[in-house]
Amino acid sequence: MKLEKNKVRVRFKLNGEDVDMEVGAGETALEVLRDRCGLKGPKEGCGIGECGACTIVADGKAVNACLMLGPRLDGCVVQTVEGISKPDDRLSPLQQAFLDHHAVQCGFCTPGLLMSAQALFGENSHPARRDIVRAISGNLCRCTGYGHIVEAIEDAAQRMSKEGT
Amino acid sequence: MRGDFAYARPDSLDEAVAFLKAEGDSTVVLAGGTDVLVDLRSGDIRPAFVLDVSRLPELKGIASTNGEIRIGAGVTIQEIQAAGILRRFAPALQKATYGFASRQIRNVATIGGNVAHCSPCGDTVPPLLIHEARVVLKSAAGERTLPIEAISAGPYKSALPPDEMIVCFLLKPRAGVFADFQKIGRRKQLAIARASMAVMAEQDEKDRVSFVRVALGACTPTPSRLEAVEQFLEGKALNESVLWQAGRMVVEKMIDITGFRPSYVYKEKAVQGLFMRMLSPMVNHAT
Repeated sequence: MKLEKNKVRVRFKLNGEDVDMEVGAGETALEVLRDRCGLKGPKEGCGIGECGACTIVADGKAVNACLMLGPRLDGCVVQTVEGISKPDDRLSPLQQAFLDHHAVQCGFCTPGLLMSAQALFGENSHPARRDIVRAISGNLCRCTGYGHIVEAIEDAAQRMSKEGT
Repeated sequence: MRGDFAYARPDSLDEAVAFLKAEGDSTVVLAGGTDVLVDLRSGDIRPAFVLDVSRLPELKGIASTNGEIRIGAGVTIQEIQAAGILRRFAPALQKATYGFASRQIRNVATIGGNVAHCSPCGDTVPPLLIHEARVVLKSAAGERTLPIEAISAGPYKSALPPDEMIVCFLLKPRAGVFADFQKIGRRKQLAIARASMAVMAEQDEKDRVSFVRVALGACTPTPSRLEAVEQFLEGKALNESVLWQAGRMVVEKMIDITGFRPSYVYKEKAVQGLFMRMLSPMVNHAT
């Protein structure tokens, strides 16, 4: 049994790199990623799992980092928006498609949307439009009206299957 | 986040219940965490310990055993959605997953947590009611089994003692029946149900109802199976007028259980409409 009072040791993989650190028992994964790891991509919008701005991919699944207790990062493979660009810092096809389709306005929801789309591609490389809409329906965007976002994800899926990535 | 608690992660179910025996009064059990984290953040709960049971293998898995379907308490809503065995034997439960919160929440939220949270609007409860689910509970003293109706003592109030946890649910399977779950919410995703309903029904060769189950959620302090409505429908051929009368009974039952509430001006019509809409495919089938 793991029982730890104030600090909990966690070891996890973050954007491909091993992390070994202590987190507070009451810290959320979002606080750990933003405040300890310095990754400001995941955003706190509502803090109660309704807006999806904090979406990360943990063990291949899109999750709300604000609803994940920090100690639960232990043993996970975690990807944030910082981890989806290509090794040479070029944008991924998904990110490029968001730019090309004007799917970004204020940008606050964008990292979360990218991560929901990323998780979708992980389980389905040829998603239909309805799969896309379902996959991002836990991500609120108050600017775009979603049309451009859905088009960007559709286009990214096509580009990726062409590139074979 | 607020919260000055210690984090405990047991390696086995026995360890978990031993911990609850010692510290159950000041412990909150964490499964998916999608309700617990919200309550920790708001300060509604201030536990000394958080017991993380999300990795216990004993709480996992969906299987058919001894003519029943066993669903582990730690099975996620997304796992229920993906399970072929439930598509076949508990289709209303599976339908309930499609409107459940959002994909991010379905990925981690568990059926055990949804039931243990005792929200009147828990989407998995009406489907569990129509499958006459039994709940296997474990404490350091041993195991016992209760009907699903006995878990909640009212809105957000568990009837379970603090040293006990839910291990799994045992459902009566029902294949090849008409089954549906619907809810009325303010939007499609992430909507808290204003009213929800699960139904299962079968007709004989003369189109009379030979089997029917109806459960109502979100309108009563705990979701309720409506056996009076089932008895009324049993043996009847379904037509508009029978459905209207049965729908009226659903509403009367709701008011019986809860007393009249201001929202019922709306809910009376909404619940009756929901019931009739859900069972109308059976009328079409008869004609």
